[in-house]
Amino acid sequence: MNRRRFLRNASMAAVGAFASPYILPSGRLFAASGARKVNHVVFLLYAGGVRNTESIHMNDGNLMPNLLSGNAAISSDIAGAMDILPASPISQPLQNFGTLFKEFRYNQGPTGHYNGHTVAVTGQYVDVDLNLREHPRKPTIFEYYRKHNSPQQTALNSWWVANTLGPYPALNYSSDPDYGPAFGANFISPTSLINPDGFDVLGNPRNFTSAEQGAIYNIRDFVNHSFNKTFLDGSAGVTNAETEAGRLQKFITDSYTNAQAGLYANPWGAGPSMNNDMFNVFYAEQIIKEFKPELLVVNMQDVDIGHFNFTSYANNLRKADFAAAHLWSLIQSTPGMANDTVLIIAPEHGRNANPNTTVDAYGRRALDHTAPSDAITGDQKAREIFCMVVGPPSVVKQGYVINTIAGESTDIVPVIANILGFDTAIPGTSGIKPYQSCDLQQAFI
Amino acid sequence: MKQIKIIFLMALFLQISCKKENDYVYQLQDVNVKQTGSDKNNSKSTIEFISIAYSDLFSVSISQSDLVKFNTVYTAFGDKKLIEDRIIRNLLNMPGVLIPTGIGSDTTSFINNSYKKFYNREPNAFESYYLKQQIRLNTIINPIVIYYSLMTSDEYRYY
Repeated sequence: MNRRRFLRNASMAAVGAFASPYILPSGRLFAASGARKVNHVVFLLYAGGVRNTESIHMNDGNLMPNLLSGNAAISSDIAGAMDILPASPISQPLQNFGTLFKEFRYNQGPTGHYNGHTVAVTGQYVDVDLNLREHPRKPTIFEYYRKHNSPQQTALNSWWVANTLGPYPALNYSSDPDYGPAFGANFISPTSLINPDGFDVLGNPRNFTSAEQGAIYNIRDFVNHSFNKTFLDGSAGVTNAETEAGRLQKFITDSYTNAQAGLYANPWGAGPSMNNDMFNVFYAEQIIKEFKPELLVVNMQDVDIGHFNFTSYANNLRKADFAAAHLWSLIQSTPGMANDTVLIIAPEHGRNANPNTTVDAYGRRALDHTAPSDAITGDQKAREIFCMVVGPPSVVKQGYVINTIAGESTDIVPVIANILGFDTAIPGTSGIKPYQSCDLQQAFI
Repeated sequence: MKQIKIIFLMALFLQISCKKENDYVYQLQDVNVKQTGSDKNNSKSTIEFISIAYSDLFSVSISQSDLVKFNTVYTAFGDKKLIEDRIIRNLLNMPGVLIPTGIGSDTTSFINNSYKKFYNREPNAFESYYLKQQIRLNTIINPIVIYYSLMTSDEYRYY
């Protein structure tokens, strides 16, 4: 071996020895460079279309006393229609535990619920009407997390909890060929699953003995090897490995058992005031207790009754406010998540300045959300929303309020990625904003 | 004379080098080698999966109201493999399900009927042999075990 070859080989070996420990399962050469701010993020979509006029600006009094500071009384003409809710589960309004962006914006695209949800979970505006039967074309925050977080985590660590079906089951992964179901989140619409109909369909499964199970594995393995396709080639959605699937099966079984025992009938002591949003957040809390996910997105949409009934819209704003506080209280009392979680709260879009022609029993006119897509002309009020970031004092600025226009819906995905320390691992070609360009970063110390 | 010799030698070479190939016939049937079920290219939709599974186990069509109920629950959970497994296990436990109480003495017939019911085809010789052996060697195997194994297999997802 001559001297030149010896030097070349020696230097290549040295490079290999240093680099090989950093070649990760994700295929990246190095671990995510950004340190985590906390280990858990919960994103609560205060959705259904919330107008800043009623929320932040308290035009009808403080309808959200669990989130917002202020003692303004609810307008007398609708106050009597407000349902009684339990006492606040938190010691002071959530805004004192974090940063409030009063003039956040949903800047582009149609102000529809599914569009708004899609923007919220993909971090990219959608300028066209979406096909409600399709998964988003751009990757979701769940896929970024599961593909780029290091070390990679199972789907048990990322959840999408929706308060209804319709198009929303499709938001747990995209159709992007580089991402897709292999990196998607577990999806559940609990109020569609944990109910008497759900019990009829899933509540009494045949259980097999371990000996039977062994025979089943053998036979199924044999017949699967005799066939040239797998279910995964079709539309199996997000697939959990066997151990994780066992935990999920038990979670479903326990949910039915608890529901049958009456434990879920009035879990917050709210009686008949408990609406679908509150139940959805309650089930999200059960997921937190059981799985302590690193990333959980949960939504509420009952305020959308505002299309037909303004007073019920105001009433449901209060219930969503209570649910948000209950969620934070549960997070802070859950070992492993307390003081290690950032909660982000934002509507998907707002509502129009101009009411429609429907008048409720209290003489109030209802509100749609139809901002023209050019984002310039006409009634653009539906683009005005708020955003709140709540978290440990060492991570999130406490009691900080930003009154000027700052931040937009597409800030949330890169901020979540930064909080969990994998934003720099997302390819620059993804189309999402760099964290440094997000006004939402002002919430952090 | 020399020319005659050359012609003779050329004729001899031709005779030796060109030999007609024999066409042997062994009197065996031609066999097309392909994987069983390989012509099933379409994944069943949710509605198809539920309604076919129901009629396979109850020999009647599922009612419209039950189909809506099943479909809602199916849609409400993201892991379809998990939820289908649970739906099948629930159907197997429902009153009125039509499952033979035992495999019976005619194992071949039971296997053939099960394949026709769930895969819409006959088992090939190897499949039939394998399952017969499993049933013979493992007394724990009963019709429910066979039905559940076939209904949660990949082939059952396709038509």
